[in-house]
Amino acid sequence: MKTSLAVVRFGGAGAFACQLFFSLLGSGAAFAQEPAANSFRGMVRLNRAPVSNEVLKVKLPRPVEKTLSNGLRLVILESHRAPTIALTISVPSSSLRDGALPGLSEATAAMMMLGTTTKTARQISEALADIGATVTFGNGGGGGGRGGGAAAPTGGASTITVNSLTENFDASLAIMSDVLLHASFPADEFEKWKTRERSQLEQARTQPNTLSNETLMAVLYPNDARRFTRLTLESLNKITRENLIEHYQKYYVPAGELAGISGDIAPAAAVAKLEKAIGAWKGGPVEKIALPMAPPIAEKKVYLVSRPGSVQTSLTLANRAIERTNPDYIACMVMNQVLGSGPAARLFRIIREEKGYTYGVSSSYTATRYLQHFSSAMSVRTEVTEPALTDLLKEFKEIRDVTVPKEELDGAKRTLVASFALGLENPAQVLQRWMQQREFGLPEDYWDTYSEKIMAITAADVMRVAKKYVPYDNVQIIAVGDGDKIRDLLKKFGPVEEKAVE
Amino acid sequence: MKLLAILAFAAAAFAQQAPSALPKIKFTDTRLENGLRVIVSEDHYAPVYAIAVAYKVGSKDERRGRTGFAHLFEHMMFKGSENVGMGELDFLIYTNGGNSNGTTNTDRTSYYEVLPKNQLDLGLYLEADRMRGLVITQENLENQRQAVKEERRLSGDNMAYGNTSEKLEELVYDNFAYHHSVIGSMEDLDAASVDDVKQFFKTYYAPNNAVLALVGDLDTKDTLAKVRKYFGNIPRQTPPVPADLTEPAKEGERRGKLADPLARLTRLDIAYRIPPSSTPDAHALAAAAQILGGGGGGGFGGRGGGGAGNNSRLYLKLVQEKELVTNVSCNTDRRVGPGTFHISATLRPGKTTAEVEGLIGEEVARLYSEPVTAKELARVMINVRRGAESRLTALSRAQALADAAAVFDDPNKVNTDSDLQLAVTAADIQRAAKAYLVTANRVVFVTNPAGGARQGGRRGGQ
Repeated sequence: MKTSLAVVRFGGAGAFACQLFFSLLGSGAAFAQEPAANSFRGMVRLNRAPVSNEVLKVKLPRPVEKTLSNGLRLVILESHRAPTIALTISVPSSSLRDGALPGLSEATAAMMMLGTTTKTARQISEALADIGATVTFGNGGGGGGRGGGAAAPTGGASTITVNSLTENFDASLAIMSDVLLHASFPADEFEKWKTRERSQLEQARTQPNTLSNETLMAVLYPNDARRFTRLTLESLNKITRENLIEHYQKYYVPAGELAGISGDIAPAAAVAKLEKAIGAWKGGPVEKIALPMAPPIAEKKVYLVSRPGSVQTSLTLANRAIERTNPDYIACMVMNQVLGSGPAARLFRIIREEKGYTYGVSSSYTATRYLQHFSSAMSVRTEVTEPALTDLLKEFKEIRDVTVPKEELDGAKRTLVASFALGLENPAQVLQRWMQQREFGLPEDYWDTYSEKIMAITAADVMRVAKKYVPYDNVQIIAVGDGDKIRDLLKKFGPVEEKAVE
Repeated sequence: MKLLAILAFAAAAFAQQAPSALPKIKFTDTRLENGLRVIVSEDHYAPVYAIAVAYKVGSKDERRGRTGFAHLFEHMMFKGSENVGMGELDFLIYTNGGNSNGTTNTDRTSYYEVLPKNQLDLGLYLEADRMRGLVITQENLENQRQAVKEERRLSGDNMAYGNTSEKLEELVYDNFAYHHSVIGSMEDLDAASVDDVKQFFKTYYAPNNAVLALVGDLDTKDTLAKVRKYFGNIPRQTPPVPADLTEPAKEGERRGKLADPLARLTRLDIAYRIPPSSTPDAHALAAAAQILGGGGGGGFGGRGGGGAGNNSRLYLKLVQEKELVTNVSCNTDRRVGPGTFHISATLRPGKTTAEVEGLIGEEVARLYSEPVTAKELARVMINVRRGAESRLTALSRAQALADAAAVFDDPNKVNTDSDLQLAVTAADIQRAAKAYLVTANRVVFVTNPAGGARQGGRRGGQ
C-alpha cells in the first residue's frame, strides 16, 4: 500500500537483530505458566497467556573472510535463500574529512554516479534499470545518503552498495567498478546537481527533524567536523569540481575499510568476481581520524530553535555518553531496554500509553567510531511541552535512583536474548553484526557469548550505568517549536539559548 | 469444534499467461465453522514465524462524524482484553523476543506479531483473546485519542505539505468512503465515545470478518489444530453491510490549492481517479506510472517501484532537461475500490506551476499517442521480478496473504498479481491511459508556501 494511506500504531519498529544452529536453553516443560508476579508501572500483568519458558539459543552463522590482492578485506556470508546478492564496500571518505568545506564528501558521493570517462549519467542509470539492479554511493553510515536527518552521517566511512539478481551480478559489478575507478565529475552535471541541492536545502529547513538533529550535533560535538550533519548553502556555493576530484582520489581507496557480501554466492566465486572487477583498484594509505570521545557536558542547558507555526514541540534530550568498546556498553543496552527501547519500555508505557503526550518516544545510545551519545526524543503538542518534559525527566531520575524491579529487568534481558532468533531471517543483518565485531575489534566469540553477557547484568549494574550514562543534572535539551509559546516555560529547565533557523 | 475445511493448495490458476519463473508462495486456505479464514504457509529457513490478522474494516467503513475511528480503534486493541492486562501484550511479545504492530488503511485493519517458533501458542492466544473481547475504559480511550491526535500532528499538521494529500483526496473522491482521510479530523477524533468503540468491535471484529495468516517455521497440521483450539469458539456475528465504494463519473477537471505556512517551495499534485487495483487497466496504469515517474505502490509485500525514478520520462524532462523541479514522482495505489494515479512535483524557486503542468500534460498525452518502448516495458518487468524475489521475511508474506484475502477475497493474488503485471503490453498501457488519464478525470492541486518573510523560496540563490 502507498504509505500515505496507511497509518501505523507506532513508528520505527525495527526488528532487533541474527540460523541455522540453534538449540533450546532450559528444558522440556513447554508452556509452564510464569509465576504470578506484581504488575509494574504502566502495566497490568494477568499472567494467563501461555508462554514457552524455553529461549531459542541462536548461534550466528559465521562468515568467511578473505583479503583481495589490493588489500581489501572481504567478509562473505553465503545464503541461497533467494537468487540475489548484496555487496557493501566501505571507503575512508567521510564528512569528518570535509575540512573547510562541510558537505564535500556528501557532494562527492552524490556526483559519483553522474558520469565516468566513457559513460553519461543517463547511460549508467539506464544500464542499471535494464537489469533491475541498484548501485549506490552513499556518504555516511547505514543506508547511505543523509538518512532523513535522523542518523548522523558519521560512521567515519562512505559506503558503496550493489544489489542485484544473481544472473546480473557480473554486469552490476562492472557498472559499479567503472564508476569507482573512472568517475569523471562532469562539470554540467555538477552545476545541475548544485541547483537541485539548493532547493533541497531549502526543503530541509522545513523539517523539525533536520533542525533538531543539526542542533544536537552542534551541541554535542561543537569543536570539530562532527558538528556538521550535512552540506550548507555557504559551502555548496564554494565547492568546485577540483575539490571533488581531489577528495575522490584521496579517499575512494581500498585502505583499511571493510567490504561485505551476502547472498547467493560462494566465497571462491565472490573473491574471483571482485578480483576481476576491482582488483585494479589501488590507493592509500589514508591518515587516521583522531577524534577521541569527550566527557559529557557538565552544565544543564536548553537550546530553542523557533519554528513559527509549529503545532508541536520536537524535544531531544541528550549528552555525550559511552563508546562501543566500553565494558559498560552491554549494561547500557539492558538498562535502555528497560527505559526507552520499544513499546514494552517505560517511556512508551508511561509517556505515550498512560499520559498520551506523544505518538512516539524512545531513548537510545549512538556508539559509532566517532559518535558516542545518549538521546531521547519525542514530539508533543505545544500545550503539553512543560508536563511532557517534566515527566520524561522524571523517568530519567527514576532509572538512576530506584532499583529496577526484578521482573522488569528479567523481561529486558530476555528481550535482548530471545530476539536474536528473529535476525536469522536476514543474512545481510547477520553479516552486519560480524562486520561490527571486526570494525570495533571485539573478541572473535563476541556474538557467541552475547547471551551470557546480557544475562549476567544485575539490577545494581543497571542503576550504576544509569547514573553514569543517562543525563539528568547535566541534560542538554533541544526544543524545536513555536518560540513565542514555549520560550518562557523552557527557562524552568535550564538556561535557554535561542538558535535562529536560516 | 468442527471445521469446514477447504484445503486448497494454491496452484497456478492463470492459464492465460505464459507461466513465469517467479517464485510462488504455497499455502493452505481453511475456513473454521465460525467463519474465520486461516491461511498457513510453511517456510523453514529460520526458527521464527509471523502471524497477521486482517480485519475487513478500514476508513472506508467510517460514518460521517467519526472519521479516523478505524485507526483510533486499532490503538484500543493494545489496551487489554479479558485475559491480557493493559500493556501486557507488548510486554509478552517483546520479552519473548518478538515484535508487533498494527496498521490501518482505507480498506482493512491489520495486526501482526513475529516470534521465535517456540512461542506459537503465545501469538495465537493473544490474537484470539482480543478477537473475543476487549476491556474498554474511558481512560484508555482518552490516552489513545491523544496519541492519535499527536500522530496526526506529527505526520500532517506539523509537516510541510502534511495536509496536501488529505485535501487532494477530497477532490479525487466524491463518495464519503474514500473522500476522507484515514487519520481523520481532530473534531471527529474528539467526538469518539466508549459506546462507539463497543459498537464498532461488535460489528467488525468478528471471526467471520477476519483473516488469520501464519507463515514461518511451522507444521501446518499442528498449527491448524492450535488455531481451532484458540479461535474455534469465538462466536460469529451478523456480517457488516459492505461499504458502497461506487463513484459517480467525473464531469470535468477540478482544481484546488492550499496555503501551507510550513512549506518553502511550491508543490504541484495531479491526480486521476482510476479503476480498482484488481482490474487489468489498473495493472497497465501501474506500469505507466513507473515509466512516467518511477512508480511505487508495488506488489503485495514487494519493494515498490524500485529506485528507477532517475530514468523516468518526467525526471528526464522536468528535473534533468528543463530544470524546473527538484523532484518528481508518479505512482498508483492498491485499493479494493477506485484508485488514484498520482503525480507530484516540487518546483524550484521562481518556476511556475503553469509551465510544469503543461509539460506534465504533454508527457501524459504521449502515453496514449504512442506506445511505450520495449526497453521501458522490460524495465518495468524486471522490477516486478525483483519485487517477487525480495519478499522474503515471514512477516512480509503473512501480511501479503492476509491483505490479499481480506481486501480482495483471494489470497492467491500474492502469486497471480506478479504474473498479471508481467502480462501488461504496450497496447494495454496506451488503451488504459487514453481511457483514464484525461483532463475531465483530473484533479490539479497546488500547495503554496504561506506566511512569514522566511518563506517564499527566494533564498535559494539561482
